[in-house]
Amino acid sequence: MKTSSPILELQGVSFRYPDGSVGLEGCSLSIGRGSRTAILGVNGAGKTTMFLHLNGILRPQSGHVFYDGATLDYGRNGLHKLRSRIGLVFQNPDSQLFSASVREDVSFGPMNLGLDTQVVKARVGDALRAVGLTDYADKPVHNLSFGQKKRVCIAGVLAMQPDVIILDEPMAGLDIGMQAELTRILEGLHSEGMTIIIATHDIDFAYQWAETISILVKGRCDATWEIPHIPNALDRFASHGIGIPRIAELHNSLVRLGLLDSGTGYPRSHQELVERLNEVVT
Amino acid sequence: MLIEQCAYSNRWRRVSPAAKGLFSACGIVAAFLASTPRTTIILTGLVTMITVLGAGVPLRRYLKVALPELLFLIIAVTTLMVSVGWNGHVRFHLAEQTELDHIALVCGRSLGSIAALLFFCLSTPMTDIIALLRWLRFPEVFLDIMTLGYRTVFVFIEVIHDTTTAQMARLGYGTPRLAMRSLGILTANLTMQVWQRSTDLHQAALARNNDGSLKFLESEFHHPVRSVCVAAIGGCMLIALALTGVGQ
Repeated sequence: MKTSSPILELQGVSFRYPDGSVGLEGCSLSIGRGSRTAILGVNGAGKTTMFLHLNGILRPQSGHVFYDGATLDYGRNGLHKLRSRIGLVFQNPDSQLFSASVREDVSFGPMNLGLDTQVVKARVGDALRAVGLTDYADKPVHNLSFGQKKRVCIAGVLAMQPDVIILDEPMAGLDIGMQAELTRILEGLHSEGMTIIIATHDIDFAYQWAETISILVKGRCDATWEIPHIPNALDRFASHGIGIPRIAELHNSLVRLGLLDSGTGYPRSHQELVERLNEVVT
Repeated sequence: MLIEQCAYSNRWRRVSPAAKGLFSACGIVAAFLASTPRTTIILTGLVTMITVLGAGVPLRRYLKVALPELLFLIIAVTTLMVSVGWNGHVRFHLAEQTELDHIALVCGRSLGSIAALLFFCLSTPMTDIIALLRWLRFPEVFLDIMTLGYRTVFVFIEVIHDTTTAQMARLGYGTPRLAMRSLGILTANLTMQVWQRSTDLHQAALARNNDGSLKFLESEFHHPVRSVCVAAIGGCMLIALALTGVGQ
C-alpha cells in the first residue's frame, strides 16, 4: 500500500507552549502515503502536539509542516482543505463528542464541509457501518460504553472521508475485545488505501500493526525504524524507555537457542510465533 | 436520568417532535382556557393517560418525575391558602371561599400545564427538542449552548461520580469537616476540568472543520405531516373541551 512520496512531513518543527514547556523541538518526520505509522514516546514526549501540528491546529514556531509536498497554508481556505483531508481522533472521546445523538455527532464533520444533506446522510451511514455502530445511530452518546464512544469518534472522522487518519492513543482504556475490534477497523481502512498514524504506548501492538515506528523523545523524533529492522536493533530500542517488542525479543532468544531458524523472517504477533514453533515441533 | 430513559424508550420516540410539541402547547393553552377546576382536572387526567397509555411511559416513572413539581405546587398552593400574621402572637388565616375557588382553578391550571409539559419532555429526547427549536429558527447561539450544555451535563456527572467515589474511598466524607473539604476540592477539580475540556472541545471542533455554529444532520421521523395533523386535531379537542367547560 505504501508509496514512496510522503503525504505528510515535518521539517525541524519546534513549538513551546505559553508556560514554557516544550511541545516539539526540531522535530523532523516523514509519513509515507498509504502507510501505517506508529508514534511511540513516553507521556509528554510531544505526540499530541505533533498531531495538532499535522492538523493545522497548532502552528510551528519554527520549521515547516508539509502536506502532499506543499507547506501548510494557514489561511481559512487552506485550513478548511487540510482538515477535510486529515482526520484527527483525540484520546478522550468525551472531549470531542458534541452532540448527545450518535447520528448527529457523526454528521458534524461532513456538515462543516458544506455537503448536501443526502451526501451527508450517505456518509454517516457508511461511517457507522465501517465501525459497526449502525444499530446505535439513534442512541444517546452518554449511554454508550467507552469503546463505543471511541468508535463514534472514529466514525465522525471517517464521515469526512480523509486521506489520513490520526489516532491519539486509540487503544487506551479499551479491553482486549475492543482492541481487537479496533484493529480490525484499522485493517479495513488501511486496505482501502488510507494513511494511518497512531500514537501509542503499546510497543507490542505497534510492532504487530505498524509498518514504521517512530520514537519521540522530548519533542524530537529520535529514531524511525521500518518494522523488519527492529529485531536487529532491540538494544537501541530499549534505550528509549518505551520497552521492546516481546515477540521480537522472544524470537531472538529462540533463534539463539537454535529452536527457530533466523532465515524465515520475523514473526509479528504471538500467534505467528506459536505457529512457527508448532511447525518446528511437527 | 429518569426523564432521559423515558424520552429514549417510549413508544412515540420516532414521532415528529413538532407534533408532540404542538399537542403539548395545545394542552397548556387548554389548561389556561379552562374555567373550572373540574375541567382542568379532566384535562390533566386525559393528557396523563395519553402520556402513560399512548406514549407508553411507565406510570411509576411518570409519578417519580412528577413528584418534585407536585411538591412545589403544594407549597405554592399552601402559601396562597394560608396567610400568616402577627398580632402579639402568630395568627393563621385561611382564604375565603371565593378565594379558595380561585386558588383551586390556579392549581388545576398548573396541574394541566405540568401534565402537558411532562407529556412533551417524557416522550421527546432533548436532541429532538433542539432540532425542533432549530426548525423554529431559534437563535443559533442559544441552540449551540443548549447542545453543548446538554452533552457536558453527562460528562460532568461522570466526573463528579468518579471524583466523589475516589474521595469516599479515602474517607473524604467521613466527618462534616472532611466533607466540606472534599466538596471544595471537588469544586476546584471540576472548575479545572471545565476549563481543560472547553479547550479540548474547541480543538476537536477545529479538527473537524468547524468555524462557527454547530451544524448537525437533522433527524427524520415517521410521517411528520400526518403526525402534526393528528396532534393538531388532538390539541384542538383539548381546547374545545376546555372551552365547553366539560365537568361544570
